[in-house]
Amino acid sequence: MELVRDCLDKQVDDRTKRRMGRVDGIILVLEQDRAPRVAYIEMGVTTLMNRLSVRAGRTVARWMRRWGISPDPFRIPWGKLKIGLNTVLADVEADKTPALEWELWLRKKVIGRIPGA
Amino acid sequence: MKKLLEIALGIVTSVGGFLEIGSIATAAQAGAEFSLELIWVIVLGGICIIFLVEQAGRFAAVSGRTLPDAIRERFGFNYFAFMYAVLGLVSLLVLSAEIGGVCVSLELATGIGFHWWSIPVAFVIWLVIWKGTFGVIEKGVSVLGLVTLCFVVGAYLVHPPWSQVLHGAVPSLPHHNSARYWFIAVSILGATISPYLFFFYSAGAIEDEWKETHVGINRVIATAGMSFGSLISIAVLILAAMLLLPRGIKVEHYSELPALLVPVFGAKGFWLLVASLGISCLGAAMEITLQMAYLTAQGFGWNWSENQRPLDEARFSFAYTATIILGMLPVIFGLDPLTMTVFSMAATAATLPVSIVPFLFLMNDYSYVRIYSNGWLSNAVVISIIGLAFVLAVVTIPLQIFGGG
Repeated sequence: MELVRDCLDKQVDDRTKRRMGRVDGIILVLEQDRAPRVAYIEMGVTTLMNRLSVRAGRTVARWMRRWGISPDPFRIPWGKLKIGLNTVLADVEADKTPALEWELWLRKKVIGRIPGA
Repeated sequence: MKKLLEIALGIVTSVGGFLEIGSIATAAQAGAEFSLELIWVIVLGGICIIFLVEQAGRFAAVSGRTLPDAIRERFGFNYFAFMYAVLGLVSLLVLSAEIGGVCVSLELATGIGFHWWSIPVAFVIWLVIWKGTFGVIEKGVSVLGLVTLCFVVGAYLVHPPWSQVLHGAVPSLPHHNSARYWFIAVSILGATISPYLFFFYSAGAIEDEWKETHVGINRVIATAGMSFGSLISIAVLILAAMLLLPRGIKVEHYSELPALLVPVFGAKGFWLLVASLGISCLGAAMEITLQMAYLTAQGFGWNWSENQRPLDEARFSFAYTATIILGMLPVIFGLDPLTMTVFSMAATAATLPVSIVPFLFLMNDYSYVRIYSNGWLSNAVVISIIGLAFVLAVVTIPLQIFGGG
């Protein structure tokens, strides 16, 4: 498998096939005298901004902290992933992860309050 | 029989949804200032959009993916972010112009200033998207959009010199005011080769659950739908050349547009123009709004579908709500809709390479389109469109300065 081609930026679905987001980053672990190991995938706005530029990543993280939002990206261990042709299947429940935090907040505080939602 | 019905409905949808504020305004200006000379630009734009829409549909039908989805995956986040910023800004400009178009039609009908209509119009657009399904928006509004065929009937009734019409379909150099000629040509191309058309079409193919079996249907719909659509734009140009040019009307304000149909249909012509302008702009505004929400949701991997309840995809619903609010702001502040239209069409032309270059790679990537990859003709056309898009990107700003006024 080629990590960037086959995994990075792919759609991530949870175990119920619900869309969670995309593979925004991949975390490799370097250990003494061993080959690098893929440990996690990351999802989150700070990871994306870091890909644009480190300065953009730091600025967004600073702003998020100021607004009381955790800038830490959500990580899914590599062992819980199944890399498919079109999607990456994660053995998690999306609603119970920070990946859908904003979706649930919008649902509860904004969209859910509009008649006919 | 079912396939025939699907094709017919697809063609009707494409024709009814083709005309919008940009194509009406630029075609009318072209006819009013340069008679039939610029017909060839609509033909050229029509050929380009046929190929791009066909490829967008084929890609979605075969790969099961939309364009933004594949662009993010194949080109990475940085390119996607760049495309999103450029396309987002241009789409908002075009959306403002379309909302302005609906407001102008209401101003023509009621006499109440167009900017007073911006909030009610934005609310109606939002409400239809909020309550409606993809089918209602795509087919319902497009069927109503068939009222724009009145331009074709009108163009036939004014008895244009058909030999000159055919002559106008052949590329020619301007006889006077070159900068203005080329500026209008660029604006027509910007109005015809609208990225929102093929992005929306690819999302629609997924919403309608197209499969490989739809490749043939897609080809017929794209070719016939876009060809007939271009024909309506040509009809607007013919009407402007026959009715506005002799009276020295240069379409500097939308209030001059009824002069396209009133001499042909009498008082009914006024209401046909109001209905055509209002419905076509309303349909386009809905498509652009949804396209922005699709682009956002597909690029970031959110849940999306116009057929689900807003509550089940809160981020998608929020994306189209925010798009409408941003799109109506320039109209509320009273920016002239015609100026916005001309500027947004030129901006669309200038940014075309960003959305068209990925086609060449995606349509030749076996992992996405397998045996349905582009043949030599499609590749040659896409390369030519990319070349044309780069030329447009370079010349648009100088032409805007020297020929925009």
